[in-house]
Order: sequence, then C-alpha cells, then structure tokens
Amino acid sequence: MTFGGYPPARHILGDLGMVAEVTSDSAARVRTRVTPHITAADGGVRAGVMATLVDIVGGAIAVRSLQPDWMATADLTLQVVRPAIGPWVEARGTVVRKGRTTLVIEALVFEVSDEGSDLEATGDPSPVAWATMTFAVLKARNPASPIQMASGFPIRWEFVGDGLDTSIVDAIGISVVDATEGRVSLPVQEYVVNSFGAVQGGVMALLAEVAGAEALGAAQGSDGASIVVTDLQVAYLALGRVGPIVTRATVLDAGSGGRRSAVVELVDEGGEGRLATAVNIGAALVDMPEPVGS
Amino acid sequence: MSGDAEGRTVDRRHPVSEYFRLERWEIPPPPGVDALSDSGGRAPVDAHLRGSGGGLRTGGLLTSIDSLGGFLCGLAVLPEGIVTTSMMATISQLDHRGPLRLHGRVLRRGRNSVVAGLDVVDEGRGGLPVAAATMTCAVLDPGGMVPEFERPCPTPMAPLDPGAPGPEEFFCIEPGVGPVTRLELTDRLRNPWGILHGGAAAVLADVAACRAAQAGPSRPQPTGLVAAADTVLHYLRPARVGPVEARCQVVGRRSGRAVVRVAIHDVGAGDRLVTLGSVAVLDV
Repeated sequence: MTFGGYPPARHILGDLGMVAEVTSDSAARVRTRVTPHITAADGGVRAGVMATLVDIVGGAIAVRSLQPDWMATADLTLQVVRPAIGPWVEARGTVVRKGRTTLVIEALVFEVSDEGSDLEATGDPSPVAWATMTFAVLKARNPASPIQMASGFPIRWEFVGDGLDTSIVDAIGISVVDATEGRVSLPVQEYVVNSFGAVQGGVMALLAEVAGAEALGAAQGSDGASIVVTDLQVAYLALGRVGPIVTRATVLDAGSGGRRSAVVELVDEGGEGRLATAVNIGAALVDMPEPVGS
Repeated sequence: MSGDAEGRTVDRRHPVSEYFRLERWEIPPPPGVDALSDSGGRAPVDAHLRGSGGGLRTGGLLTSIDSLGGFLCGLAVLPEGIVTTSMMATISQLDHRGPLRLHGRVLRRGRNSVVAGLDVVDEGRGGLPVAAATMTCAVLDPGGMVPEFERPCPTPMAPLDPGAPGPEEFFCIEPGVGPVTRLELTDRLRNPWGILHGGAAAVLADVAACRAAQAGPSRPQPTGLVAAADTVLHYLRPARVGPVEARCQVVGRRSGRAVVRVAIHDVGAGDRLVTLGSVAVLDV
C-alpha cells in the first residue's frame, strides 16, 4: 500500500514487509519478520531496524492524532534489553502527551508469532526494547506536507516489496570509509527517503548504529561486526536531502567497564555540510564464533 | 539567568545548581563570527555527592548538564525564555576523580525549540570522557521575566558547605525501597518558573530506578550495589503541587544492566504524569 505514492515501488519499508495497524486514536502497532538480513552479531534484530519500526509506528499514530497538521520527527530513543529473535518483532506505541507544538509517544517492542500474537505459550512475552519519540507539530498551513490524509485513512496496511536478499546495511548502500573515525557514508536515493524526500529517520538511526559499531570495533582492534548496539538516543536536527550522508564518531568508552559508548554525528555532505542528526550510542561486545576451518 | 519584572535576577545562583556547586560561563563566538555562544562549566565531585559508582552520582551529573544546557539555550533565545522538554544522556564513566568539566553548544535553534549538545570530561583523569548529552528546550514567552545581566556572564563556583546533606535529603526524597519513590516538592526544588527543577526530577529518577532495580525478583546480585547510568527524560508537563512520585518498572535486564522505565507523577495535581523516561541501572 502507498499513501499519495509513498513509499515508491522499490523502498526499504516495502522490502522490510512492514505490517501496520492503528488500534485506537492514540495507539498503533507495526511489525516485521525477523530474517538474518536485519540481525546483528547476537542474533537479534539490529537496533537501527527497531528504530525504523518505532519511527513508523510513531508516524502512524502521529498522522492520525495530529491531522490536519503534519509532523517531523524531533527525537527517538531506544533501549534494547535482550536480543529480538522473532519470528516477528512488533513495536506498539501510544501517545503520552499531545501538546500544541509537540507529540510524545512511548513504544514497547515485542517478539510476536507469525499470526502477530504474543509469545505467551512458545516464547518470552516480555518486551525486547523500550522506546520514545517526539514529533514537532507542523501546522496545516505549512505546504511542506506532501501527503494529505483523507478521512478514509486505513486502519491496517502493509508495505509490500520483494524482500531483502542481502544485509540491510548493504541493501541501503552504506559503505565504510574509515572505521577508526567511525566514518561511513550513505547515498540519498529514493529507496531510503521519507515523504519529505529526506533520508527516513530509522535509516539515519541505522547509519549511526553502523558508524558507532565500526568506531567501537576499531577502538578494540576488531571490526564492527562484534559490536552490538543496544542504545540509541537520536536527535533529528535537519533533513538529510542531498547526500551523501557522512558520519563522524567519537568513542566515549571503548569497554573499560564492559559497556561501550560513542557519539555519532551525521552530516549532509552535499547539503552544505549541515549537521543533520546527532546520536548517542551504547553498545556491548559479543563473542564471535571462530570462522569455520580456522 | 532571568530576572523578574523589577529587574531582580532570580537564577544567577539557584539552590539546586548551588548544591552541586556548578561553575559556568558563556563562551562567545570569536569577534566577527555570527554564531551563538557556547557554554562552559566545572563541577567538583564532593564526597557527599558520590554514588555507588565511585563518582558524582548520575542524578547530580544530569542536574549540572541541565543547568548548563538551560543556561546555553536561554542565551540562545533571549529575550525569550526556555524550559527543558527532554534530556538524553549517555554515561561512559561512573567513577570520577574530578573536577568535571562541561562544554555545551547549540546544535539547532528553531522557532519553537533549541537543541543543545553537551559533553562532560573528568579533568582529574586527564580529560577522560564521562558523558554526552542532548537536551531540548521549548522556547517560552517570558511574560514579566526580563533578562538582567551582563554578558558574557560567568557564575562562580559556590563554596563548599561542610554540613551539606546528601542528595536524597537535599532533594526531599523519602527513604524507601521498591518500585515507588516519593519526593516532597519544597520551594528550594522549584526552578524560576515555580515548577519542579529538571535536575530534581533527574535525581529522583536516579534514586527511584536504583531502588526498583535492586528490588526486582530477577536481580542477579541481591547483595550488590547498583548505579544509574544512561538516562532519557521527557518533561511532559510541569510539576507544581507535589508530592511527586516516581513509579518504576524494570523493562528487562542484560549483562549486569537493568533498563528501568520511570514515570513521575504529580500526586497533588490529579496524579498527572509529568515526566517519563528510562534509566539504565548497572551492577557495580
């Protein structure tokens, strides 16, 4: 399904096969199937992918709650408490405050069955992550809104695509420029943009996740594959429209106390080098299996 | 940093920031450069302010970050006022030698909000990173409050009070254990707008989350110590009446770390939710 032509036929949201449902005027849930293409070294869904889920569930709530106004994501936080192995992972969001200029949403992320029900009988029904989002309200007179929401806004919809046949990091075109500096790059292409034509908020979080993991991995003499990002604190400062979006990371703690943390800044290099997003990251080290044959 | 209608300065030395003895100063841009000021700060790590992690307890660290960030954002929007709406902090070191040095810069100045990035290092440990934070402030009509100070405006470090109480006593946090922790809203805990100071809410969240993590049924080290670390706080509504109650829920635990959801309610104001956040509580 699309809204005013968004997302386009080939888009990351379609390839993630997200299924969304608005459950009340102030609540919604969005889920995606767990595949090896979206998981990190611990076998759980990447924090950046969960952030994308949260971003979509927040948007689904906000668009209904705020209409005829529109909104822009101001910040997003996510804390993963255990690996999300599926078979599906679902974000459930509710409004905690609706003000004149902002809307705040809280979300919990759960593992769910193929049918979308809780894993009461077959697995752990407790949450895998806790998240929040803040949206800035854009008044309806603002022409920035490219999507006019009709009264017939659907209760349930699905983004349909071909699915991922490679890692999501490769699928969206992230390349590592300098791991030590946490410098990774993402081209701005239709596949990853939102309805404003800027890189989707969840994708920005995923980019920061990769950059932070690379920097933290390099700080201990390995690569980013052994680092699992568990915490994201994302501040969206400006739209990343031009690209490439390039990161720079500062390692705060490379693991002296077991935890790892970094600050990642995402700059729209083609957009006058504007700082688009700032992200604080928390991470853990995962013991990697020895390569087969070693 | 604002003054009332008679021109009196009302927050050059607020009791909450004075308690943590935060020294702060404005860092104007170089001459000829059209940019907003940065801000700098320094906070000692006094013995009575140390937590289980060995350094300044996280609630105190967040209070100093909030004070410096509020000062920075306030300067950025003059003559309008600000109020903190969210704080996101990653804590990389719990054990500090001190003093701590803080630096803040404006990341975005919008019509309705200001976003600031702040970092904290331990001067006593060669500038070791301690924390990074992002805070957002809403821009407010100052009403009768008018700015009254010279720029750049330094605020000196308050002298050490040898009889200063510990944070729980100063912040009027009732003794207790378990998932609910209560604070009495006394006048010294109010900010210049007359509402609960954001730093006081941060200290309450720290104390409450630690008590909740220690009380949880799956606590891995029943006799061990814990300390608050990474924190997210959304200041949703002002707390004006009190008492103020922090209700906690352990979302999950992973590798010696519990994530605690903290919902702070103004009990006397219809029990409304005033602050929502999370605190990562570490076994130390």
